[in-house]
Amino acid sequence: MSSLLTKRLYRNFLRNKLRLATVILMVSIAVFAGITFGGYASNLEHVYDVMYEDDEQGTNLGDLWIDNKTTVWSKQDADDFCDALASNWQSSYPSLDACESRLILNGAMYLNSSDDGIAGIWHGVSSTDTIDRLWFPDTNCCPGEQATTDTQIVLDAHVLDTIDVGLGDEIYVGVGEGKVVFTVTGFAFHPMHVYFAPEGSIFPPEEGTFVVGYLTDEGMARLSNNTLASANTIMIDIEGTPKFDLPNTDEFEGEELAAIKQTFVQTAEESGLSGRIMDRGEQAPVEFLRQDLEGAKQTVVPFTVMISVISCIVIVLTLQRFIQSQAREIAILRTLGIPRSSLMVGYLMAPFSIGALGCLVGGLLGPYGMNFMLDFYEDIIGLPIVERSLPTSLFVTVMSATMFVVMISGIVPAYRIARLQPLSILSGSNDVRVGSSFLQRLTNKMPTMVGLSIRSSLRKPIRLSMTLLAVGISLMLFGSIQMMTGSLEETIVGNLEDEQSWDVQVYIQSGGEADVIAWAQENNAEYEILIEVPYGQIVDSSNTIRSLYLVGLEGYGEASMRHVNLIKGSLPTTDGQATEVLIDEGIAEFVGLEVGTSTSITIGTTEVDVDIVGITRGELQRTMYFVRSDLAQSSGVNATSVYLSFDEAGGVDDELSSISSGIIERESLLRGIKSLLEQQTNALIVMMGLGILFATAVLFNTLIMNISERDTELATLRVLGASTKQLTMILFVESLLIGVLGGLFGVVFAFLGAVGLAASFSSWQFFFPVVLDSYVAFRLLLVIIFISIATLPVGVYRLRKMDLVEKVKEFSN
Amino acid sequence: MKGVERHYEMPSGVVKALDGIDLTVKEGERVILLGPSGSGKTTLLNCLSALDSPTSGTYTFGGDEVPSQNSEQMTKFRRNNIGYVFQFFNLLQDLTVLENVLLIQELAGAKDVARAKELLSMVGLSEEVDRFPGEISGGQQQRVAIARSLSKRPRLLLGDELTGNLDSETSASVMQALIESCEKENITAVFVTHDEKLTKYATRVIRLDSGKIISDETTQEA
Repeated sequence: MSSLLTKRLYRNFLRNKLRLATVILMVSIAVFAGITFGGYASNLEHVYDVMYEDDEQGTNLGDLWIDNKTTVWSKQDADDFCDALASNWQSSYPSLDACESRLILNGAMYLNSSDDGIAGIWHGVSSTDTIDRLWFPDTNCCPGEQATTDTQIVLDAHVLDTIDVGLGDEIYVGVGEGKVVFTVTGFAFHPMHVYFAPEGSIFPPEEGTFVVGYLTDEGMARLSNNTLASANTIMIDIEGTPKFDLPNTDEFEGEELAAIKQTFVQTAEESGLSGRIMDRGEQAPVEFLRQDLEGAKQTVVPFTVMISVISCIVIVLTLQRFIQSQAREIAILRTLGIPRSSLMVGYLMAPFSIGALGCLVGGLLGPYGMNFMLDFYEDIIGLPIVERSLPTSLFVTVMSATMFVVMISGIVPAYRIARLQPLSILSGSNDVRVGSSFLQRLTNKMPTMVGLSIRSSLRKPIRLSMTLLAVGISLMLFGSIQMMTGSLEETIVGNLEDEQSWDVQVYIQSGGEADVIAWAQENNAEYEILIEVPYGQIVDSSNTIRSLYLVGLEGYGEASMRHVNLIKGSLPTTDGQATEVLIDEGIAEFVGLEVGTSTSITIGTTEVDVDIVGITRGELQRTMYFVRSDLAQSSGVNATSVYLSFDEAGGVDDELSSISSGIIERESLLRGIKSLLEQQTNALIVMMGLGILFATAVLFNTLIMNISERDTELATLRVLGASTKQLTMILFVESLLIGVLGGLFGVVFAFLGAVGLAASFSSWQFFFPVVLDSYVAFRLLLVIIFISIATLPVGVYRLRKMDLVEKVKEFSN
Repeated sequence: MKGVERHYEMPSGVVKALDGIDLTVKEGERVILLGPSGSGKTTLLNCLSALDSPTSGTYTFGGDEVPSQNSEQMTKFRRNNIGYVFQFFNLLQDLTVLENVLLIQELAGAKDVARAKELLSMVGLSEEVDRFPGEISGGQQQRVAIARSLSKRPRLLLGDELTGNLDSETSASVMQALIESCEKENITAVFVTHDEKLTKYATRVIRLDSGKIISDETTQEA
């Protein structure tokens, strides 16, 4: 008997193909999302560990560094430091495996002797070095081999597809001292340049406008005219990987490294070396990636939860409605004497089959989704993810959780209906309900048709609330990313695009500004010298030492080529007793500083008292602005670069290239930032796509359910003479109302999501301001209203297709 | 109606639901259609209301041919001429008693609150105007349906088993209210029923069988 009942139920389900397909689709999406994002997060876990590993395949990332890019230490200085450190090393420390030095210089690369040049970093690293080595992964990404002579160079693998250069090609390289020819012997990655951006820049520049090259010590000496093995960076490798402090947490995790670091600092002082001392947490390129990875993993969790919640809501609503539509048949079968238990077998089997089919589809597609996400991450970082796997436990967890929701959604309504008295279902008394007096009072002054539309929209408050919740969460997926990107574009891109008037920024070696100024005067270019140094330090509210990016501008206001977006206070002058500075809103928040307060910072080894006179917006990294003369006095650096503004005919020429150590065009920087924002948005495009897909599915599902439940009502009105146009208007008002409610709900959710995302991404290194962008908000509202109204043709189609003769028969049966 | 036929194509062959109906209903008449199941009375009512289209034959209403092909024109015909009372009342649950009546006036483009209240008073529901259908009895709901169907002053009122869901006492009061309303508003009415007892409310009783009129009897002057 039960097999016939089950067969009946299956046939009934198959007759409602659209509804059945919706449930299977949502189950598939839930499983797909769970496997995709779960697998993605699990594979990201070790992506950098493989490269940093101290083994034959890895690069052996250092543990502590000291660098000073404004000076050059001799080989003797570096050796003395390493010897002193070895003798200061405590026996209680893990062993000091290596102490090595490097010379790293900014410069430019020229594909031929006459082109304008591409900004670059030239990094000394020999084949015998053991720390921060080059990485040639076992994939097809990186052809060639390490440079071994003073005429060879390895280029970073990031430029393989962006700059037209290959193995064996000759290139010209300069560091402001003329151009030297090198032969390309290979392409590789380096742990300090996986985040492929110039030092101090948080934004990767536009593709093809930045390059990193790795030369032997001899090659560096030949390029820079320094003595062999001169250095400006020294690093050590300690046995194992002592834990270092994570800058984005309040806790201090660096207990294991603290004493060693103290010894390192003390040895540097004793050896007369001044510079930044950094562990892995303070090494910007390493920390950027760690935080980016953490952000990517953190994002996955809430997004997976959101997707699951939406899927569950749709599954619950649809299956519930599905089963409820069976109420009459269940009542008839119960009247015929079929026991409840026999009926329930079918209602166990049906959700199980639906869930199993959805799980199968989602399970088959999930690995593709995971690989797509990992490929995407690879593209963004430009680094191959060598090891990929998908744990079986993930499949089991995702599928069993989804099956649980499906089974409960199917069984509970069936059980409830089976418990009802068949007579009350058959007589229709079960369906009788009393309208809402509150809604009646609210709408009684409106035309009856409008009132009916509003009341019909709100007649199922639980369904409507769940729908709005699902739409809200969908927009959290779709809209929060847009809002955050919109906010970043408005604050960062907007500032650079509209508020700055320089055309190029010419980087110089110490004292090189005079040549650039002379060039500018000869070529009718306006100029402004500035200082940008990444080695300021401040103690934050949790007593942790934080790195500051210090900027010294000639002046502020209209006359300056670089405007700051002042959101509070006033611009700094040299009139005050103490040094007046501006801080970005990230510093204000993390350190707890306000306009009018004073604080101390360290620049190199000098402590400087500063007065905070204003707060700015639009900087991702923590930036403090000085008047240039004040910063020059405190830092001992007069200028690090020169802004140039050309007239219409002006531009960079060979002479300017040769006297600079790198030139960045504002337009190029702008394109780079836009491209980064686009990449970040694209990285989340799967989630955004799912968000809009969900919003559409949820709204369609609910509105179609509403319409199908109202067949009787609409047929009645049609029999009584309501035209299609009049009924369409009723449906339109309903769709519009639900669209507006859903849209408003969605905008609020999206904004909250953006604030949450920004908070989870924000750290000392990256600070994401969130400003409600009315354009984005309005666009989100319109999208939801559009989706909602797009269901109208389905309703109208049903109206036109309605067989009134059959409906009238139903009224009389 | 002249020579009206309505055939349905079924897997077992063609079913003649109406088989050559010749029928003229005069203004003010109250006609009751009687007949066993499958005799064609509901099909005849559907054709009268332009819900269904005859397969052949002609149907004129007040001298004009009734549209039978265009769904919107058929709806317009119903809107302008026909009132309909269903067995299960089919009131809109989200609207109050008064609003259910007003909605039909609005659809016909002639909202008249005073008339709606007057009609509700006429069917004995002046105290219930602000209540929802779920709050009143079945008999009261059917009276609302009657007031609703009269509210736009239809020329022809149709009812299909309109007391089929009511007990005999309630049926009597509903029919009484209906007849009084029809007389007062001078509305022509055609009702389908199985219930022989309702013939006392008719001015004319027509019996059908196998899609044909087998008797047509005038019981009282309209």
